Amino acid sequence: MTTARGLSVPAAPGRAITGLALRQLRRTGLIVLGLTAAMPALVATTYDSVMADPAAADGIARLAGNPAIRTLFGEPVALDRAGGFTVWRVGTFVAVLLAAWAILATTRITRGEEDAGRWDVLLASRVPLPEVAARHLAAVMIVPVAAGGAVAAVLLLAGTEPAGAVVHGAGIGLLGLFFVAVAGLAAQVFPVRASATGAAVAVLGGGLLARMIGDGLTELGWLRWLSPFGLLALTEPYARNDVLPLLVLLAVAVVLGGAAIVAAGHRDVRGGLVAAAAGRRSRLVLLGSVEAFAVRRVLRPLTGWALGVGAYYLLIGFTTLSVTDFLTDNPAFAAEAARAGFTALGAVEGFTATLFALLALPVGGFTAVRMSAFVAAETGRQLTLSAAQPVSRFRLLAAEVAAATGGAVVLVTVAGLAVWAGIAATGGGLTLLAALAGAWNTLPIVLLSLGAATCATGWTPRAAGVAGSMPATGGFLLLVIADSVGAPAWVRELSPFAHLAPVPLAGVDWSVALAMTGLAVALATAGVAGYRRRDLHG
Amino acid sequence: MNDPALRAVHLTKRYGRVTALDDLSLDVPAGEVFGFLGPNGAGKSTTIRMLLGLARPTSGRAWIFGTDATDVARAHRLLAYVPADVALWPHLTGAEILHLQASTGPGTDLAYRDELVERFALDTAKPARTYSTGNRQKVALVAAFATRAPLLVLDEPTSGLDPLMEREFRTAVRQARDRGQTVFLSSHQLDEVEAVCDRVAILRAGQLVEIASMEQLRGLRRAEVTVSYTGAPPPGLGEVPGVESVEQVGEGRLRFSLVGAPAPALRALAAADVRALAIREPSLEEIFLDYYGTAAGR
Repeated sequence: MTTARGLSVPAAPGRAITGLALRQLRRTGLIVLGLTAAMPALVATTYDSVMADPAAADGIARLAGNPAIRTLFGEPVALDRAGGFTVWRVGTFVAVLLAAWAILATTRITRGEEDAGRWDVLLASRVPLPEVAARHLAAVMIVPVAAGGAVAAVLLLAGTEPAGAVVHGAGIGLLGLFFVAVAGLAAQVFPVRASATGAAVAVLGGGLLARMIGDGLTELGWLRWLSPFGLLALTEPYARNDVLPLLVLLAVAVVLGGAAIVAAGHRDVRGGLVAAAAGRRSRLVLLGSVEAFAVRRVLRPLTGWALGVGAYYLLIGFTTLSVTDFLTDNPAFAAEAARAGFTALGAVEGFTATLFALLALPVGGFTAVRMSAFVAAETGRQLTLSAAQPVSRFRLLAAEVAAATGGAVVLVTVAGLAVWAGIAATGGGLTLLAALAGAWNTLPIVLLSLGAATCATGWTPRAAGVAGSMPATGGFLLLVIADSVGAPAWVRELSPFAHLAPVPLAGVDWSVALAMTGLAVALATAGVAGYRRRDLHG
Repeated sequence: MNDPALRAVHLTKRYGRVTALDDLSLDVPAGEVFGFLGPNGAGKSTTIRMLLGLARPTSGRAWIFGTDATDVARAHRLLAYVPADVALWPHLTGAEILHLQASTGPGTDLAYRDELVERFALDTAKPARTYSTGNRQKVALVAAFATRAPLLVLDEPTSGLDPLMEREFRTAVRQARDRGQTVFLSSHQLDEVEAVCDRVAILRAGQLVEIASMEQLRGLRRAEVTVSYTGAPPPGLGEVPGVESVEQVGEGRLRFSLVGAPAPALRALAAADVRALAIREPSLEEIFLDYYGTAAGR
């Protein structure tokens, strides 16, 4: 038997695949892990200062009786304890954040990589497709497991009851695992990354909606058993500490994950269980110019965002009267809500103003995602053919910014209309103009996001998504954290949300709106200047 | 237009400490089919990206028919481009991409485009994600050849095409030349360059090492001469200028290589009773390997 010198036969080629998957996850994975650990830590450690007054804890606990509060913020359980309060205040947010990351990361490193053709070489190796898929899913699952462990650890370190900390941490971790499995299965079923992501996000949205309805309406409480978020709520950390819903969640996640790996063995590489359309009639509309094409590319994602934002704000509209009536009848609770960070909730205008401010998060996120997609088209070289046309760099970028701006205006308008329609349907009296003013009032923050993303597109294109998330999501987190830890005023005022007038409760603060818009325009202009000078990537 | 179709002066591109292109100067007159050769990493695509304004030169400048290459809105009215690795919007069909390119391009002959779609046997009803490398290249080629742009910049346009399509490509290049279009063709397919190009530039490690017409290139390089004779061999052949490596390849047969004008060698041969004489010009591949043979490490 002869041995070729220098012939390298790795004993475990699969481990190289796991390594590859981990490399693609480490950056965003660490950010998500940090956020999921930091937010409960902040709230749990500041609980004592917030709840120093025993009447306060009692007041907030009685909010549980209101269906609308339960719908919007989740069922409050054990608010008299630091752990229970933390779960209520940030539990849903952490769960949604982790779920969204799990979906995006899973479809990105599985279907996305396969779609881009990078799995062809990988699968020509000795490792079969089901193992490659399994190793990638396992790699993503490390983050939810670590996040669940981190949540439990910080809750324990903050001195909350061990049982509740472990149940909540396990719930967060299992919920993350569930969404990795859902996205993993969707990535096997659909041959295109966008469809796989869309299907998994629909499960997320549906699950959240089922939990909201199940929390709000006692007779439909069983709906929560059908939703991962509902199962998380049913564990009632720091109260009943029920493990059964967690076992259900684990079982479903295992079944879905197993199904994903089995499905991977029954399909073609670059194919899905659902076949891609082999051909279709060409639709030539909106292909006449780079501007029209930018609009065409935004339409489909915009529809998805509009459905999500519209559904959420319609639900807010439906519940507005119930919440405000309750708070008006119980002024003590309104004061407690104010202490918890929700001011003037007793009036329809005050309640909607508080929730309209949140609109800047998804819509600002939308603009950041659009600019990231533009950068991805550049590095993916789809943009090369357009860049070789008689079209200036300015027009290429301006078309994209204009389409994203138009999409953002549509989204905030949809939210305003949805709130107005919801309130009108339940017999409330918010005028259409007031609802739209409240929604449009968030546009300056949205434009700041778009401006920051555009600036990054011109100078550091890889950072476009992160830069675009800074003004809205970053600004909101900064405000929440600054309020929670009692940071100096100037820190708080770095957040654009600190300057946003509560429209429709108050009038629009035009000087603030103009200042933010001016800053956004300056950022975008700087971005255009950078984009005109730099080399195109790809 | 008296300006050259394409002019580069001291064009240089550095990425940090790596010099991708070093002081390239060349003119391509209008109407010429110009071949641009070089091994992988020689700087061909970098050059093309700068000619198209996709990348900015570190120093030096380029012009397209006298228009600064960085003024893309004007310069690109005069050119059409096929990238080396064509990426298309995956959700658009071939027909939709061709429509987009025609709507935003420098002017397209739609009837000729339909003819090209037929000739390249392109199924335009399919979404681009289902296209193979060759089909993606065909979409870009059809879009470029269908324009009436006076300059076509083609970066390794046939690497994914089958021989039948390769033949269609050569026909399309000739038709473009017949219409007066200038073609700048970067390629690895040396027989293709040899078949369609008037002039060739050879790039190595970011530097221009040769720029010449096909005839000049052949003249500069050695031809292989085989002589059959009866009786005594031609005397003193080894001392004739331009004659090298004379070898006896059989009884009454000699082979030698010849550089430069053949007259002195022919005079020497006249002294022998030559029965047959064959002169084989070097193929572009041999010329190419002559330039790179040592660098390629063979």
